[in-house]
Amino acid sequence: MNQPLISLNNVGFTYRTLTGIMKVEKFQALKSINLDIKPSETLGVIGANGSGKSTLLKILARIYDPDEGSISFSAKKISLLSLSLGFDPRLSGIDNVILSSMLLGASLKQAQQRVDEVLEFSELEKFAKQPVRTYSSGMSARLGFAVALKMQTDVLLIDEALAVGDARFKLKSERAIIEKMSSSQTVVLVSHSAAQINRLCDRAVWIDNGEIVLEGDTELVARKYAEACA
Amino acid sequence: MMSGKHSNQLRQTTMFWQLVFIKVRLNLRSEASQSYLSYAWWLLEPLLQMGVYYIVFDILLHRGTEDFVAFLLCGIVPWLWFSKSVTQAGNSIIAGRGLISQTYLPKPFFPLVAIGQAFVKQLSVFVLLFVFLFAYGYMPEPGWLWLIPIILTQMLLTVAVAFVVSFVIPFARDLQYLVDAALKMLMFGSGIFYSYKDVFIPEHRDYFLMNPMANLIVNYRRVLMEDVAPFTGALALISLVSILVILLMTYLMRRQNNTLTRLALE
Repeated sequence: MNQPLISLNNVGFTYRTLTGIMKVEKFQALKSINLDIKPSETLGVIGANGSGKSTLLKILARIYDPDEGSISFSAKKISLLSLSLGFDPRLSGIDNVILSSMLLGASLKQAQQRVDEVLEFSELEKFAKQPVRTYSSGMSARLGFAVALKMQTDVLLIDEALAVGDARFKLKSERAIIEKMSSSQTVVLVSHSAAQINRLCDRAVWIDNGEIVLEGDTELVARKYAEACA
Repeated sequence: MMSGKHSNQLRQTTMFWQLVFIKVRLNLRSEASQSYLSYAWWLLEPLLQMGVYYIVFDILLHRGTEDFVAFLLCGIVPWLWFSKSVTQAGNSIIAGRGLISQTYLPKPFFPLVAIGQAFVKQLSVFVLLFVFLFAYGYMPEPGWLWLIPIILTQMLLTVAVAFVVSFVIPFARDLQYLVDAALKMLMFGSGIFYSYKDVFIPEHRDYFLMNPMANLIVNYRRVLMEDVAPFTGALALISLVSILVILLMTYLMRRQNNTLTRLALE
């Protein structure tokens, strides 16, 4: 049962950008990463901008395959939480909830069943049939957040942005996501805030220049990272 | 063990097709919401187009025989369906980079949505074509049922060509220009504006008919205007080759999934 849901073995990843005729610029974003994602843990990935955290998340989400090393999945459904995924501003709130849920991995039936919950959480029942282009940016973010929150998935990958909307809704959304994390949900959370990682995660990994600097106890990793930043 | 794996695969496949259908439906809804007359444009746009051909060729030019406009429409309607689908699907993987960067989706999703969208709108164009033909005195016959296999064949051909083009364009976006030029050339080589029997000597007609779109257009006219059966052998052959190409391209898109992702995002 303690078999890892995702296992990275010496994973490396290089971006190649076409910069002119037949000229390619290379940038190695990840180098020999070894990492296991265990069932029902909340793993924090911490690091500065450009350290490779988001690339790691995209490899976990199967958006990119690694160039080097290997990755094995025993988790069936992995969802990268991106707010307002695939939202079409010309469509109604309901249509966008269905579309976005399905893009995150729900079946049509699951997506339809979840519409009411999502609208209720985002407090947008009254605007459900209005096109999303008439929403304020805060309303649209609330809807996107609620879709992601109500997703049922084996591994939830979160890139920053845990709280959206005004002060009251921020509190509500953060509380909801903490509740989800502390349940048996497996979560990988990427952040550049040591405090946030320390508050939310069971285990932490510090990435710098595409390499794992330190891995283990959250408090220790967060403290070392904060020291290095100071 | 095995059955678990199979049922999971079946679930994935079902979800994939559900997503394609929902996306087609919502894209159409989104498109319609942009104009005051919304869905009415599905009929109005082709009506305007066909009206232009009628005015130019029947009223202004009095071109040739009486049934020239009917002849022209039987060619241009299937052709526009094909060329619109290929153009839109061709660029679909690049255009889908927003989704590609955020979630895992099998690549055939993108051309299939574009093809689906074009197909739904095409159905109303076909209805309009029948109305036009009726107005020109061509009575619907049981033989018109042959349209079903002809349309299905064209659908398979469209998917095959669109899969090839959408797979190739991310490797070199410059190819988009060549595809446009090739479609223009193919248009003149598909016998939309002329009858191949008037243009080619008998020995050369077989070469003309090897162009699948030319062949399909001849078949549309045989069924709609001449009341004869289509060349069923040709339809079967086009379908078979198309299916093989679709299978090959599906395999290639899966094999090269990661390469396509990187090309689309770079």
